[in-house]
Amino acid sequence: MAATFFGEVVKAPCRAGTEDQEEEEEGRRETAEDREVRRQLARKREVRLFRRQTKTSLEVSLLEKYPCSKFIIAIGNNAVAFLSSFVMNSGVWEEVGCAKLWNEWCRTTDTTHLSPAEAFCVFYHLKSSPSVFGSCARKNMQVTLLTCRHVTDYKTSESISSLHFPFLKALKTQNFKEPPCCSLLEQPNIVHDLPAAVLSYCQVWKIPAVLYLCYTDVMKLDLITVEAFKPILSSRSLKGLVKNIPQSTEILKKLMTTNEIQSNIYT
Amino acid sequence: MASRYDRAITVFSPDGHLFQVEYAQEAVKKGSTAVGIRGTDIVVLGVEKKSVAKLQDERTVRKICALDDHVCMAFAGLTADARVVINRSRVECQSYKLTVEDPVTVEYITRFIATLKQKYTQSNGRRPFGISALIVGFDDDGIPRLYQTDPSGTYHAWKANAIGRSAKTVREFLEKNYTEDAIANDSEAIKLAIRALLEVVQSGGKNIELAIIRRHQPLKMFSAKEIELQVTEIEKEKEEAEKKKSKKTT
Repeated sequence: MAATFFGEVVKAPCRAGTEDQEEEEEGRRETAEDREVRRQLARKREVRLFRRQTKTSLEVSLLEKYPCSKFIIAIGNNAVAFLSSFVMNSGVWEEVGCAKLWNEWCRTTDTTHLSPAEAFCVFYHLKSSPSVFGSCARKNMQVTLLTCRHVTDYKTSESISSLHFPFLKALKTQNFKEPPCCSLLEQPNIVHDLPAAVLSYCQVWKIPAVLYLCYTDVMKLDLITVEAFKPILSSRSLKGLVKNIPQSTEILKKLMTTNEIQSNIYT
Repeated sequence: MASRYDRAITVFSPDGHLFQVEYAQEAVKKGSTAVGIRGTDIVVLGVEKKSVAKLQDERTVRKICALDDHVCMAFAGLTADARVVINRSRVECQSYKLTVEDPVTVEYITRFIATLKQKYTQSNGRRPFGISALIVGFDDDGIPRLYQTDPSGTYHAWKANAIGRSAKTVREFLEKNYTEDAIANDSEAIKLAIRALLEVVQSGGKNIELAIIRRHQPLKMFSAKEIELQVTEIEKEKEEAEKKKSKKTT
């Protein structure tokens, strides 16, 4: 190890050529074993759907059991806070199942050792409105995704200081005919991770889907970021679902205060 | 491109940016809002108080600090950096007084803080201070002053300004509402500061802290009751203004 003039720590290159070659060979030998171990671990990956209350697995695919016309997914703590205070507090939502998954990056050995509280995804359906989980077919289904991303990931020719964040951008599949509630995401910005996977799936299977992406400077739970999702309440998919906006705002504020993590770094 | 030029602050990027300084300005935005107003006979500093943990002693969580009897400052950003800057400024104020036998001018101490901050943007292996400060006070000539410094080491005099989270919103409010009438007397200036903060503070008066300095008088911190009184007055005035508006339209 060596320190540069700028205070970086860099690995000093080894000038003894032979030593380098031996190290490389060893590395190569280990890789073959590593590959085998990784293959074994990959076989152990699983995704399980089950009911939390009864702890029984759901044998049938969730969508077959509860076919729906509107599927709303919230990813990230701000999107989830928006959905739970504005949408899920109007009307009675019943938990129909949750998903647990295991892959080699999890800390436990398999899904059976994960505590019941460690569900990665919980599914709810609206008891009072059968149309939300209503008549058949993926044909009539519309998917709405909500998520957040840090504003530093947003690429634009304007300077960041001129932007007013948080702001909303939309990305939709070809079959989504409704006009989105905000401007579309411009190039060269791209979507990552789960929302990208869901959108790609919907595009391939010709399901109308829209992603509302909120660019914000605060990634932890924040009132202003959650309120940036409000324009979505006027969209067709969410219109009928939100009854009492002032009450929802109060519930949101309570959620904020209970979740506030005490940090003394910034004053 | 940014990732290759933001490791060491002494390095310029090809397009002339000092990324560490710009990132330090982002750290300032993580602090809660502070607003400063320069009136005719008064200077006002208002801050959004951070919520204090149950077991924490409230007195030790302060955003407004006196640097001398006639100068005080409010900061936004990294708490620890602020503590270091404040300590050095306080020592400088006393050292100046002992040497020159006069209290510091507000501009002098602001220049001292700004020079200190600039040194850290040009020093090898050090990072800039992650704070912006609003420095207010009266000089011997009786003229009120308000200065703002930022992590790059620049400082400017302002009539009214805001720093920290939502500073843009508060500044826009001040640009619309800072008029000669608004600072006509002391109580109007105080109300302007509180109204500016209420634009962005989430739970109203109980999360606001206020300090004023009047000409030839020491720093005065408002108690929670006094702030509540001001907030109630402001709300009354708002209601009356709205009633008048609705009468006019009908």
